[in-house]
Amino acid sequence: MKHFGKTLTFISLAVLLLLISAGSASGKILFNDTLLEGDGFQINNYVIDVAEVFSEHGAATIYVFEGESATPTHDKFVSVGSSFKFTVEGEDVEVTLISIHSGIALRAKLLITVTDGSFINSKTLGEVKGGHKNAVFPKTPVLEITKTVDADSIMVGDVINVKVSVTNSGDGDAEKVLFSDPTSAKFVLQQTLISPSGQTVIKKGETRLIYAYSLKATEPGTFVLNPTTAIYSNSIGDDLPQASSNTPTIIVEDSSKKANLDVTLVVDKYTVDRRGNLQGTIRIKNIGESSASAVTVNLAVPTGLKYSGGDSAIEIISGVPTIYLESFGVQQEKEISFNLKAMDEGTYTLSTQNSYRFSDGINPTSQVASSTSVTNAIYVKKGKYDHLLEQPVYVYLAPLLVIGAVAGWLFYRHRQYKF
Amino acid sequence: MLNILIIGNGQCGNRILDAINRDAFGTKSRFAKYLAHQKYKSNVQTIAINTAVNDLKEMSFTKAKDRIHTPHLHGVGANRNVGKHVFEDNKTLIMKNIQERGNFDVAFVITSASGGTGSSFTPMLIKELKQKCNYPIYAIVVLPFREEGTLYLQNAAFCLKDLRESGTDGIILADNQFLKQMGGNVESAYNGINDMIARRLLFLLDALDSEMMMVTDLGDFKTVMSGGAGIATIGFYEADSEMPIRAVIKKALSPEGLLFSTDAYQEASRSMIIIRGDRKYMSIDEVSSEVEKLSSSVGQVFKGIIVRNDELPQVLTVLTLESAVELEKLYAIAVEAINYEKKKKERVDSMKELDKAFSQIDGMDPSY
Repeated sequence: MKHFGKTLTFISLAVLLLLISAGSASGKILFNDTLLEGDGFQINNYVIDVAEVFSEHGAATIYVFEGESATPTHDKFVSVGSSFKFTVEGEDVEVTLISIHSGIALRAKLLITVTDGSFINSKTLGEVKGGHKNAVFPKTPVLEITKTVDADSIMVGDVINVKVSVTNSGDGDAEKVLFSDPTSAKFVLQQTLISPSGQTVIKKGETRLIYAYSLKATEPGTFVLNPTTAIYSNSIGDDLPQASSNTPTIIVEDSSKKANLDVTLVVDKYTVDRRGNLQGTIRIKNIGESSASAVTVNLAVPTGLKYSGGDSAIEIISGVPTIYLESFGVQQEKEISFNLKAMDEGTYTLSTQNSYRFSDGINPTSQVASSTSVTNAIYVKKGKYDHLLEQPVYVYLAPLLVIGAVAGWLFYRHRQYKF
Repeated sequence: MLNILIIGNGQCGNRILDAINRDAFGTKSRFAKYLAHQKYKSNVQTIAINTAVNDLKEMSFTKAKDRIHTPHLHGVGANRNVGKHVFEDNKTLIMKNIQERGNFDVAFVITSASGGTGSSFTPMLIKELKQKCNYPIYAIVVLPFREEGTLYLQNAAFCLKDLRESGTDGIILADNQFLKQMGGNVESAYNGINDMIARRLLFLLDALDSEMMMVTDLGDFKTVMSGGAGIATIGFYEADSEMPIRAVIKKALSPEGLLFSTDAYQEASRSMIIIRGDRKYMSIDEVSSEVEKLSSSVGQVFKGIIVRNDELPQVLTVLTLESAVELEKLYAIAVEAINYEKKKKERVDSMKELDKAFSQIDGMDPSY
């Protein structure tokens, strides 16, 4: 009976210890060991110092510091088995004094738990000899990149000068800084004066010119320069968010001189009887600022119409009526006429494929331009005498036979009386 | 059906023949030959003969096969002696062409008495035909205008003489001098005379082959033509409005209707009267009255009546003459013409004395 009582007491104590243990460790255990008096335990920017151990009282004084501030945010006198809580970045941290150990150096065993430790930086977690005064806290560099251009409205072919500078406005050095500055489309890099080479360090408060180069505009339009970006980390190697520069907007105006051939195609009538004739006119005018060369106008004649001739400027090349003009000056005009015969009923459109070359004064090689001209719909309707051709063969044969007989008779009689 | 041969000799004969062939189409349209057939009742064969090819070429209504060219430059130049030689040279050709056409019941040869080819060919042709054929042959002879010239007048005189001696069965006269009363210019006068002769001959041919109420036929025609002095003429009149048949007959016998100037009641020997028209105009009393009037002077008058519905009355008269004052006048003038030509020839011969003068320098050259 006495033995049964000892067993029952032991089980009760075990359950009690389990319950105590479960109640004090309500999350992840960060620390469960002894700390010498004066040492501390750092969690990110917080340091839990064992400030003083009172072995004769079974208690200890525990400070909680935030950052480099010398004034603790928490000052707790904790007895063995007691605990206190404070919040770090939204999560509860509970500190429980497990035991006190006397000797040459006084020590306190602490159990430190946190409800969710995912926010904790492993580089700033752990025991700190000497406590708060020796703790190392991470700094946050902030890089601000500024891209400037010497002109925001230029002509095609003009050059702009671009400068990119960076300023570390954070409280720590930016390390392993790597810049990137892709060249914007429609611009060609002309000259690079300054550019970073590899990784660099931007000290806290430092401003540095990192890029200086010139770009040449190649096309007209409104363009936004690509941002210069930087990736970097702080002193403890944490990668920080990428920094981006502003994106200047450049308006590039067209300064090139182009030839612009206005080719119009008209016909004298848009409704015509089958077998009727049409007269078409191709009018070419250079309304551009540069003369054109190798002007080619191909007249596409649909199958229901037939090209029946035209001005001498029109040649038939591979069956296609073609106009070729060696050169065509600015504001020059030319009118070329041609004739068509309507062959089949239907609705047709007449078109020309036009191409020419010109020098824009910018590019060393001549530019090629092309266009298409199309007429309105041309309606070919039944011819005046078409109904005559729709009759059966005998309808034509009979009169032809009669005419032939009459002609034969007349010829016969003529020969009879011709002396 | 009668087989009839009509020959046109020389320019005048060709033109009258062409007019006959044209009128036979029933229209004067130039396109008639293409559109119609000739309406001869009989089997009529026509032949044009000429030495001048241009005269043959200008014919329009006579078939080419019916035109015989006897080549001699461009005609014989109104010289009957040359014409006779040309005929002799081409006689075989001409006779062969005629004989190839078969036998005929009657033949007419049309010619001008005054020209070259016609006046010389016709007597010789008739003489040849009479020797080889046994059908009657009548000459239709056109006399010249009296003022046309001495050569024409002497040609006419000798032509008529030759014709009488050729054996012809009769000479039907048409006188340009008499017919020029029609007026108009020379061309229209000639054309008008040609048309008149053509129309009368066609009427005669139609009548000889028609069914008649009162009959006259080829036999009667032969009898008429054999009477008198072998000279005859034809009268014709077509009413242009309704008129009594008596008046139409009188018109046909008057100078207005005759081809030759004659007094039918005084100079005619035998006569034939052919009346054609609607029955309503055929008053037997009137016809008989006029026929009796003529026969009381002439003696024998053959009469025929052809009834054609809706036709105005037309009358054709054939008169053979015992005498012809007008013809005597013509010969009197012709004699003067012959003498004139003879004297002129003598004068021209005397002019040849000039040749002697020119002959004095024969063989000499001028010296400069």
